[in-house]
Amino acid sequence: ACHCPKQVMKDCNDQLMHWKKVEKDYESLQERLITLPDKLSYDVMVPFGPLAFSPGKLVHTNEVMVLLGDNWFAKCSAKQAEALVAHRQKLVKKKLDDLHKVMKSFRDKAEFTADLEKITDTAGDFVDIREVLSKDEEVTKGKPRVAHKPNSKPKEEYVLQLKEEQWEGEGGASQGGVLSETELWARLDELERLEEEQDERDRLDSTDTNGEDTTSSSSEEEKETETGSAVEVNGHRQCEDMSPASYAGRVNGVTGLALDGQDKDEEYEDEEEFSSLPTIYFSHTTEPKKVRINTGKNTTLKFSERKEQKDAKRKKKSVKCNGHTLHEHHKITTPADIYRVFVDVVNGEPVPRKSILKSRSRENSVCSDTSESSTADFEERRALYGHEEGAHSAASNGVTEDGRHAAISLYPNGRVEAFSGTVVEKDPLPVSIPHLTITPPALPTIPERKQEEVGSETPQEVPKRVSKFKAARLQQK
Amino acid sequence: MAEAIQRKLQSELEKYQQMQKDVNKSMSARQKLEAQLTENNIVKEELDLLDSQNTVYKLIGPVLVKQELDEAKATVTKRLEYINGEIQRHETLLKDLERKSEQHREILASLQQEYQRAQGIPAGKV
Repeated sequence: ACHCPKQVMKDCNDQLMHWKKVEKDYESLQERLITLPDKLSYDVMVPFGPLAFSPGKLVHTNEVMVLLGDNWFAKCSAKQAEALVAHRQKLVKKKLDDLHKVMKSFRDKAEFTADLEKITDTAGDFVDIREVLSKDEEVTKGKPRVAHKPNSKPKEEYVLQLKEEQWEGEGGASQGGVLSETELWARLDELERLEEEQDERDRLDSTDTNGEDTTSSSSEEEKETETGSAVEVNGHRQCEDMSPASYAGRVNGVTGLALDGQDKDEEYEDEEEFSSLPTIYFSHTTEPKKVRINTGKNTTLKFSERKEQKDAKRKKKSVKCNGHTLHEHHKITTPADIYRVFVDVVNGEPVPRKSILKSRSRENSVCSDTSESSTADFEERRALYGHEEGAHSAASNGVTEDGRHAAISLYPNGRVEAFSGTVVEKDPLPVSIPHLTITPPALPTIPERKQEEVGSETPQEVPKRVSKFKAARLQQK
Repeated sequence: MAEAIQRKLQSELEKYQQMQKDVNKSMSARQKLEAQLTENNIVKEELDLLDSQNTVYKLIGPVLVKQELDEAKATVTKRLEYINGEIQRHETLLKDLERKSEQHREILASLQQEYQRAQGIPAGKV
């Protein structure tokens, strides 16, 4: 039995009609029974088969054979028959009443839902709470990011979609904003490209967290741009009729391009006159992550830092110059900017400083780069160890024990840049000696502090863990 | 491995379908019985309205057989009881069948899962 109200109502109606007909039949029958015994006999035209009639007489007008049901008959007088008919009519009426009740209840149900809708539209107490989700969010939630797989570039779609959304939503509200947006898109594309390159290098020994980090950071970038742009434009117009252009919802008079975004949990009420129902637009926004340094394998930078660094790189075209980048970003407005400043550019890639904490203690932890507090120490240490950040050649800059004189000339460099010193190797890389190496995918990679994950260059043996201090000492021996 | 599971799945499915058919049959039979019940109730009541002067006939095939009023009443009453009994029986049957079909459904679900897993593994290996 189908329970959907419309179907039930339809069935009810059908049955209702049927029983009404029956009732009418009984009424006419009753009438006939009353008038029948008035005459002793009637002259009638008796039907003869389906096609003919013949004149005849109706006699014994008081005798009626009544069908009682279930193949039972009873010979009754007209009056008795009438009584029976009345009895049956009672039953029919009862059935009709039941049907009416059913109809009524279903109709009430239907009306109630309609009323409810009407009420919610008009009354002010009812507030519609909506969360606007963009397609991007849905797609990326919980799934591995496609953008960072090689040979895929889905972000362009997002970019395009966003563009469209922006166009649709704003309808050319701010032409000036458009230009900056295109710039942003261009930058974003560059960033993505570089990111992909990095990720490919990272992939050699990337852990899951790493992948997520980069992806999440890149998603942050996206979202930041989105929010940023949306915010920028939204600031101009507070029209609620705007279609939800950004998933971040609409912001009432927010700061401009807040790329160093804060949490944007915006709950606010629209003005009532703009929508039929007071609506609260709620959005979950992900907090743009600050610099995250994972267990020495991968580091992600905040979007703004990267972008600006890319900018610096593009403009200056200096590959190994930390000072240049420093110039660009001296202006520190937020804590995040600090990370931006204290960063080395190696081969054009921004490499954040290493943390002095033990990598183990920071495993799987999302913590900001703490190296700022001990930058001096850090440099010194790095000089001491002859460590090179982001060096690509793993074999050449290890401090090893044994007679290998790896002349690490990073010593008092002041600023450790890309390895610019000379490396003299007397012996080929000794197999038996564990040495400090930096694993290849190093760009945003911060090699392990204490070399606990010793070089992958010596696959033949189990790397013996040697601290840098010891190694240095041994070398000096 | 997957084929075996598939075959099992098929057989279970058929059994389940059969069970469903039984359930449906039982339900329709019960509905018919209910209609007969109401009808016989009406007959009983109407017989009560009559008196012994009227002759009661029973239609057996093409023949109208004369019956006594009391006899008719008795017959109808007996029939009513019989119908009630039948309805009860059908109800229990229905419940039983429902339970069994439920079990079958669970078995089917688990088999399906197994099958999908089996499907997944070879696909993964490939």
